[in-house]
This record gives sequence, structure tokens and C-alpha cells, in this order.
Amino acid sequence: MRGALSLNPTYYEALKRLTLELAGVNLGSDHAFLIETRLSALARQEGYDSLDDMVEELFNTGQNRLAVQVVSSLLERDTHFYTDRPSLEKLEHVVIPAIYSSRKGGKIRIVSFGCSSGQEPYCIAMMLDKASDKFPDVKFEIVGVDYPSTALDRARAGRYTHFDVQRGLPIRDLITYFDRKAEDWIIKDHIRQAVKFEETHLLSNLDSLGEFDIVVFRNALPHYSSPAQVRVLRGLSSLVKPLGYLLLGTDETLNHINYGFDTLARQPNVFRKREEKIEIIEDPNIKKPTDRKTFEKAKRRLKDMGELGNSKSA
Amino acid sequence: MNSKTCLVVDDSRMIRRVASRILKELKFETEEAENGQDAIDRCRIDMPDAILLDWNMPIMSGLDFLKQLRKEPTGDKPVVVFCTAERDVLKITEALDAGADEYVMKPFDSDIIESKFFQAGLI
Repeated sequence: MRGALSLNPTYYEALKRLTLELAGVNLGSDHAFLIETRLSALARQEGYDSLDDMVEELFNTGQNRLAVQVVSSLLERDTHFYTDRPSLEKLEHVVIPAIYSSRKGGKIRIVSFGCSSGQEPYCIAMMLDKASDKFPDVKFEIVGVDYPSTALDRARAGRYTHFDVQRGLPIRDLITYFDRKAEDWIIKDHIRQAVKFEETHLLSNLDSLGEFDIVVFRNALPHYSSPAQVRVLRGLSSLVKPLGYLLLGTDETLNHINYGFDTLARQPNVFRKREEKIEIIEDPNIKKPTDRKTFEKAKRRLKDMGELGNSKSA
Repeated sequence: MNSKTCLVVDDSRMIRRVASRILKELKFETEEAENGQDAIDRCRIDMPDAILLDWNMPIMSGLDFLKQLRKEPTGDKPVVVFCTAERDVLKITEALDAGADEYVMKPFDSDIIESKFFQAGLI
């Protein structure tokens, strides 16, 4: 395995600003190493000799495709199977029984946002497969959503390394739901087919995803800037059906803005949407960051700030 | 000190050392045995809370040790985590049927050991 390429330090801040502009996510101050590690693979894949060459071309030519790839690589999360298991167990023991008791049958749509390489939606599918006797006559539709990325490609393939399957996944789940293929493990067809994956930016228009009975969005909210958090939660709220549920990570809350939800008693990270429809008022001060215009603006702003120097001559 | 005890059973001294170091970081008191018979002898003196167990060893294999262990008085008490290069699903099933609680496939790192011991209810 080849090591990480190095990046001119003057570009760190520019890339952090780009990520904030395009995705609303604040990269922490400890991300310098991660930036180099994650972008090295992309630079090699795209045929650049150095990270500086790739980043210079990104800002000099304004390639939207490259910008999205760079930001997606920077945001890729290292996810494990059954991360935050107590939250996922609330799905089986609190949320789905509540929906089931009011409905007895039909379809229950569940979306996992920020699913990265797919462990969370597959965990939900495995969990529901094991609990299928408890919910007869219900068809579950599970959707995993994230930015376009190589992680999402891996999710679709359902193929995991020796190390991936040993972090969080009980051995009985491994032998029940995976087949070994050479050094890797591939999730069995009936679980893979139970999950669909969609490439969508959380800050973009989410209407095409349709409405869901349950939205799972765990451990990602704190990474967003405050204005982006508001926008993300409004977007997620619009996806939840009346009397549907939003599940955040353990210890995560809605920060005093309820977005049309009530907190469940004794379940501080589970929120039930009220029956009446609330009108979501768009905040004109919050940018929609996915189009080329926004990228061009970000690029101009960074140039104005003198952060995009010529690293070769620097 | 109220830490749990773990017996590391492996014919490789290197593996025993690496595993013991990881387990000590997880606050386990560790002992080592180099084959199944050695492990049985130690368990008869003092039954540990957990056993990290290799499969292929001279004198007595990990699987034979496990079958013997579960017949011993209080032999149902230790949580047994296999730690072996065997990756075949049939082998894994055989280990679970014999009474293993979790299963680590070599090579491993500290994250894997921690994750498996967590799943087995040891931490």
C-alpha cells in the first residue's frame, strides 16, 4: 500500500472552507493528516503526481466534478457495523412496534442518512430479518443515503474486508448473512436486495426520496455548521411522514428547535412527528451549495482571501 | 483491583505477547498457555473469566480444549473467544457449536479484540 502524499499547508484552510461551503460541514483542526490520507487515493486515481497539482487544478479550473469528489473524499466516514447499537435497538424495540401497532401491515419505509459504506442500513436489514416474526405482513423498505463516493460504491457491492466484518459484527451474524469470497465477505443477496442506496446531498432538495416512516441520522449532526444543522434538520423533517419518527444518535438532541417533533418519554434521541403538517419556512440566508455557481463563488472568495497561492512558486 | 482475568492460549509466543498487551490495555489480568492441555491444567487451578483461544496447537487443539473445558465443573463460566487463522464458515460453526462465544479471525488488531470482547459482554 502506498503512503499519503503531502499537501502544501496553505491549502488546508482552503479545503476546509470549500467543504464548509459545499457541504456545510466543519472539518476539525485535526484533519490535516486525514486530508492528506483521503485525498491521496483520489489524486492517484485521477492521475495527478501530487496533491498540490490536484488542488491547484481544482481551484484554477473550477471543475465541479472534481470539487464534489474532493469534498466527498474528505467527508467519507469510517463506519462500523452496529455502531451505537443501543440507538439501533430502539428501532426494533420502540419505534417499529409503535408504528406496527397502529397499522398492522403495509409498508414501513426507513432511511439511513450518512450511511457511508452501508453498514448501518445493512444492520437494520439484518436486525429486521431476525425480528421478522414480530412484524408479520409488513414489508420493509430500507434506503441508505450519502454523498456520491467510493464508500457508497462499496455499500452497493456489499463487500467488506476481513477487518470491516470483525468490528462490531457478531460472529453469528457474519456466518448467517455473509458469504466468504477470497479475503473478503459479501453480504447475502436477500439482505443486499433489501437495501437501496441513493446519492443525495443532505443540503439539496430531498423531495425525490419520498416520505419515510423512520429517518435515522446518527452521529453526523455535530459536524455541520450551525446554519447547516438547521437546514439539514428541516430537510429531514420534511421527509418524515406525520406520526413517523426521527432517530438521532445517543446523546443527540434537536437543540431547542422541535421541527414539528415531540421527544418520546424516556427516549431522548427518538422524536415523533406531530400529525398536523407544519410549514417549513426557507431561510434565504442559507445557501444551497450543490450547483456550480456556489462553487465558483467559494473559489472567488478564497482567491480574494489570498488563500489560493501558487504552491509551486511558494 | 477488580479486573477480569483472561487466559491467552496460543502456541506462538509472539501472538501470546501481542494479545496479552492488548488485553492488559483493556484492564484484563492475563495468563498464558501454549496448548490446550496446558490451558486445561491452568483452568483446573483457577478458572478465568475469559479465554482467548487458538485452534491449531500441538498436544491438544483449541477445539478439543473447548469441548473438555465445558465438561469441567464451572467450565461453563469462562467466555471463550476463538482467535485463529481458520476462516471457513464450517469451522466457525463447529467452534460455536462446541461452546465458543465469539470468534476472531487472524490477523487481528486491538480494535477487533476490543470489539469482540465487547460483544461477548466482557467489557
